[in-house]
Amino acid sequence: MTLVLSLGVAVLFGAGAYLLLKQDLVRVVAGMVLISNAANLFIMSAGLSDGSEPIYPLVQGEKVSDPLVQAMTLTAIVISFGVAALLLSIVYRVYLSHRTVDIESLSDEEERLSEAEEIAQPLTAVVPASEE
Amino acid sequence: MLVLPLAITWIGAVALALMDGRRTRVGVSAVLCVGASFAATLWLAIDVLTNGPRRSVAGGWEAGVGIVLRADALGVTFAVLSTGVVLVALLFEVLARVRSRSFPALTLFLVTGLNGVFLTGDAFNFYVFFEIAMISAYILTSYGEERRQFRAAAIFAIVNLLGSVLFLISIAALYHITGRLDMEGIASRMATVSGQSAILTSALIFVAFGIKLGLFPFHFWLASVYTGTRPTVAAILSGALANIGSYGLLRFGGEMLPRELDQAAPALFVLGTLSIIYGAIQALSRRSIAEVLAYSSIGQIGYILLALGIGGQAGFAAAILFAIVNSMNKTLLFLSENLRGWLVGATFVIGAFSVTGLPPAAGFIAKASLFRASIEDGNVALVALIFAGGVLSFVYMFQIYQRRFWVVHPDQNAAVVASPIQQRLLMLFIGILVILFGVWPEPLLRLSDRAAAVLTGGST
Repeated sequence: MTLVLSLGVAVLFGAGAYLLLKQDLVRVVAGMVLISNAANLFIMSAGLSDGSEPIYPLVQGEKVSDPLVQAMTLTAIVISFGVAALLLSIVYRVYLSHRTVDIESLSDEEERLSEAEEIAQPLTAVVPASEE
Repeated sequence: MLVLPLAITWIGAVALALMDGRRTRVGVSAVLCVGASFAATLWLAIDVLTNGPRRSVAGGWEAGVGIVLRADALGVTFAVLSTGVVLVALLFEVLARVRSRSFPALTLFLVTGLNGVFLTGDAFNFYVFFEIAMISAYILTSYGEERRQFRAAAIFAIVNLLGSVLFLISIAALYHITGRLDMEGIASRMATVSGQSAILTSALIFVAFGIKLGLFPFHFWLASVYTGTRPTVAAILSGALANIGSYGLLRFGGEMLPRELDQAAPALFVLGTLSIIYGAIQALSRRSIAEVLAYSSIGQIGYILLALGIGGQAGFAAAILFAIVNSMNKTLLFLSENLRGWLVGATFVIGAFSVTGLPPAAGFIAKASLFRASIEDGNVALVALIFAGGVLSFVYMFQIYQRRFWVVHPDQNAAVVASPIQQRLLMLFIGILVILFGVWPEPLLRLSDRAAAVLTGGST
């Protein structure tokens, strides 16, 4: 069971990391979703070393599973779900204002902007205030 | 009483989320709300510093079962600092004009998250509050709603989300190896956990907070976010939100994983040095104020890392002091960035003095305590590095000062529209505060000493 879960976490995280390195922002978000789910699975597996019986109703003599990791996973699932929605909406707004979700062309604009700033503020234009 | 700083802003945020934040009335009530929360944290801080740490367990459970809220000197120091920074930034924005519906409510959510992070005694709750603060910050980054802001928000959200996930994984790992989620429990069981897994977990925690802080190898997102977003949000991000990173490193490194922090000292020195040098060189080569300030933040974080690496009472105290002063500097500088009119040059110069660590400003005290810690540690190279970093920051700060306040653009001579006088007075007030802490540093020194004593197990 531990092996299966660790393989699951590894595959999810690996696939997520692969998507995270893509050019397309939507794929990047999908990568984030996969990585968040790898984390959720990891939390679940953190409690696996105990038993597997439910905590309620309690059966005498059986080892119960850890309810705390399940509660944590539920919280983490809710958070990652909300954040995924938020990320998608941010990407949508980026698309609305740029008409593209390609990281390359977005960073091109960034560079153009900072170059324009440098031209606007040349180093040589320094005039001490006293000389006015 | 512990719940008060959280509850005020939380309820306020939910109420204000339903209203249009662009109305002055809503903005003013948001300021009052954060002000009340600031007063509550201040009250809590005074109580903690005079009567010792406080704790309360949620739902009337016994400790160890229920979720613990606790306030000690370290937590309340950061809570007061961060709430204060957000209060100033929010007031600053309301004095001009709030441009979006959601800004006041999001700021309140951010304060709730920040205070929760600093006042919780539970590692998983730390993560939850941390996410509340981060999610508000993701949306706040797009405040202004122009192309640059959306780009900044996308970068900020994706990179920091990765950091949050890594942090969540490390919390689960901590739970797995110690079987506890309350910070004191983790700290006490950590001593019995053997090598490998502890080191792996600590490294993961360090990477998570490193991404948040924008340390050298994880800095790549920081510059484009701080320059892309509006100055008010940049002030909140670097003055309040970055405190989560320094607090997290202190809390998790200093309290829960002291052995691993000790082992990591060489790595911290190397990364701190690289951050300082990289930040300074990049800042030197930049032209726009926002970019210089962004790279300067990377350098300033390096100092905190050095202080952490030194460790011990003196090192932790220096790290806390540096975090406090750095927050004030960055708030002052980012907010002054786009102001026009007289007084603005003066406030900017005070901030520049403080960043370089020249005497009348508070930055001097922080640098001096860092010097003292590294001399006590007997580390000459560190002293030289801190000095060199100071010289470099002097050059880049005054280079932009010159460019910003001495250059006369031919087309701007005619009509420079001065910013509202209230905004400039607010900045002057922060500037005077920075000077005041510089000439009368005893309260700040005592505070950081008390906060560091929490970590070293001294008397608090």
